[in-house]
Amino acid sequence: MVGWIWDPVVATAAILLGLIAAYGLLRIGHKIAKPRPTVEKMKTYACGEDLKPEETHPDSEQFFSPIRRVFRPFYRYIQPAHMGVLSTYLLWVVVGFIIILVIILLTVR
Amino acid sequence: MIPHAPILAIVLPLFAAFLMPLVGLLSKRYNAAKACDWFAIAAMIGTILLVADMAPTVWGGHILTYKLGGWSPPWGINLAIDGLSIQMALMIAGLGTLVIIYSAGYMQRDTRKDLFYALTLLAITGMMGIVLTGDIFNFYVFLEIMSVSSYALIAFRRDSNAIEAGIKYLFIGSLGTSLILMSVAMLYSFVGSLNIADLGAKLATYREGAQPVPAILIASLALFVTGVMIKVAMVPFHAWLADAFTAAPTTISALLAGPGAVVGIYWVARLPYLPFGLPVGIILISLGLLSMVVGVLMALTQHDFKRMLAYHVISQKGYMVLGIGLGTLGSVLGAQGGLFHLLNHSTYKCMLFMCAGAVLFRTGSQKFDELGGLGKNMPVTALTFLIGALAISGIPPLNGFVSKYIIYLGGVEAGLPIVTAIAVLVSALTFASFFKAFSSVFLGQRSERLRETQEAPKLMLFPMLMMAVICVAIGLLPALGFNIVGPAQSAAENSARYISQVIGGI
Amino acid sequence: MNFNYTIAMLLIALGFYCLLVKRNLIKLIIGLSVMTDGIHLFLISMGYRTGGIAPIVTSELSSNLSNFASRAVDPLPQALVLTSIVINICILALALSLSIYAYRHYGTLDPYKLRRLRE
Repeated sequence: MVGWIWDPVVATAAILLGLIAAYGLLRIGHKIAKPRPTVEKMKTYACGEDLKPEETHPDSEQFFSPIRRVFRPFYRYIQPAHMGVLSTYLLWVVVGFIIILVIILLTVR
Repeated sequence: MIPHAPILAIVLPLFAAFLMPLVGLLSKRYNAAKACDWFAIAAMIGTILLVADMAPTVWGGHILTYKLGGWSPPWGINLAIDGLSIQMALMIAGLGTLVIIYSAGYMQRDTRKDLFYALTLLAITGMMGIVLTGDIFNFYVFLEIMSVSSYALIAFRRDSNAIEAGIKYLFIGSLGTSLILMSVAMLYSFVGSLNIADLGAKLATYREGAQPVPAILIASLALFVTGVMIKVAMVPFHAWLADAFTAAPTTISALLAGPGAVVGIYWVARLPYLPFGLPVGIILISLGLLSMVVGVLMALTQHDFKRMLAYHVISQKGYMVLGIGLGTLGSVLGAQGGLFHLLNHSTYKCMLFMCAGAVLFRTGSQKFDELGGLGKNMPVTALTFLIGALAISGIPPLNGFVSKYIIYLGGVEAGLPIVTAIAVLVSALTFASFFKAFSSVFLGQRSERLRETQEAPKLMLFPMLMMAVICVAIGLLPALGFNIVGPAQSAAENSARYISQVIGGI
Repeated sequence: MNFNYTIAMLLIALGFYCLLVKRNLIKLIIGLSVMTDGIHLFLISMGYRTGGIAPIVTSELSSNLSNFASRAVDPLPQALVLTSIVINICILALALSLSIYAYRHYGTLDPYKLRRLRE
């Protein structure tokens, strides 16, 4: 009955209509209460401390620490293996070749 | 049709590359500063016109065969262009032109630009040769042309990171091409011919399983698959890609990530059908899944902009190999999704690398911790980066959504719903890491030393905007992409038609 | 004939050993060169015919071409090996020049120490 909702053209038109409606609501809101940004308002709130902009930047290594905690058994093996030694990379190529040879032997014979 | 168009599409960038030092000498004598850039752009526009001229004939169902020197196959080398080759050639010529227009703006502070353009045009020659040729040793020669030019281009600026990345890429890449040479040697000793169509015809009995497969053919297939997988940078052969794309000048990263991915996936698409025809589907699916997961998980912890984008290249190439592998299990949607994803990925990955290059050009740093709040200074770059980030995560109505959705459907159609589940999870993690990238670089507060950064120069903005328009256009009208990808997928599968039209049509 | 193939496989194995174990970049380059030479030896020995003659048609041989074709060594692998030798010289030259730059930047040629790009 509602098969027409999943039509791609209808879905794209609905997305674009939603975007235009959101932009219209934003403009109406700005007409009612004019935005008056000052430097103080645009700064990140740090409980009253005075922070330089470099210090408010999120640390790029710790940004996804929950994901690192969830996938920790994975990272324990993969990350030390990427340490930049050329001979290790060439060893992977040889090991990968032997594994591919074994897989092809098993599937073809 | 322009006569001799197939060979001219390879010869035009080659001669332009060899004439480039002469143009550089003349430009220094007559004080014409941008002569090298305009000469390279003119050569690439000529290549696009030649390829576009061949396209209607090939899409009409007729495989173009061009005999070099008049020698008919299987004794001579011939170029064979079917639907798959024409998709790859269109992508190399189109995206290559945009990358050279970008490099006219990016390399304006470098000296010896004539040598840079000579090497870039040689790399593009190698790529065009790989996708247009019909002879397997000719493929090896063009592969080496492309590889050696890219080893030199990565180490172009000769700082310590670039030299180290160049050395690692050189060793792993040379090992890969040596394995392909060994595989060609074994094939020649067993079959006695080097023409791909002829090999396909003579190995047809093993394809149908009429006779047991001899050991030399198994060894040859394993060596060839390993060599191609090193070029496509699947895990565990992927180690060169992260270093190479971080340390190279950003135009070369864009060139290797966009058009350079095409040549590897071209051979991955041909692998299950020509010239061996033996079942490699399970290898493609498992390597594709492994690369998707390892690529995105390594990308989540990076603090360097281009290195994160490089790990995403590995992950997205895993999608393409997975799609083509699902195609061998009988899922037509999977193979079409893999080739369509190649078309989309090259477009938006080139665009993302160009945005990273614009930021690097104006601010001098490519680490997340030193950037921030550039959205106000560089609005066009921020907008194109946003379009690229949404496209790579598979958000409608952009083009990444179309190809990823087809791959999800292909996974279910082939009877492996676990593949679809893993693919959706990887898409979510991709979106997470691009969220981090966008907010670290373009949102947030701007530090004092970045206050004076300007927008990127116009020559760099033009290719980015063109690619953003292509992304949105393919997203809203996927039929544009299907007109290119549909004939490509049916041509890749239909090896019998390839063989009969190349050899039978003498 | 098996002697040629054995030596070729031995060269390839030695080349792999050099690439994986040695700790000097010049030794890695030598290993790569030895390995590709092994592949070239394999390719040439494939075209050999026992008691064959060189595949050049001279004036006294041009009268009986079918006899010549059954006695001559296969010329195609020789052409392939010539191409491949030229390509490998290019790679060797590029690798050596990159090693010179690496020595200037790092002061050492140990691949275990060329690790500024990590993770």
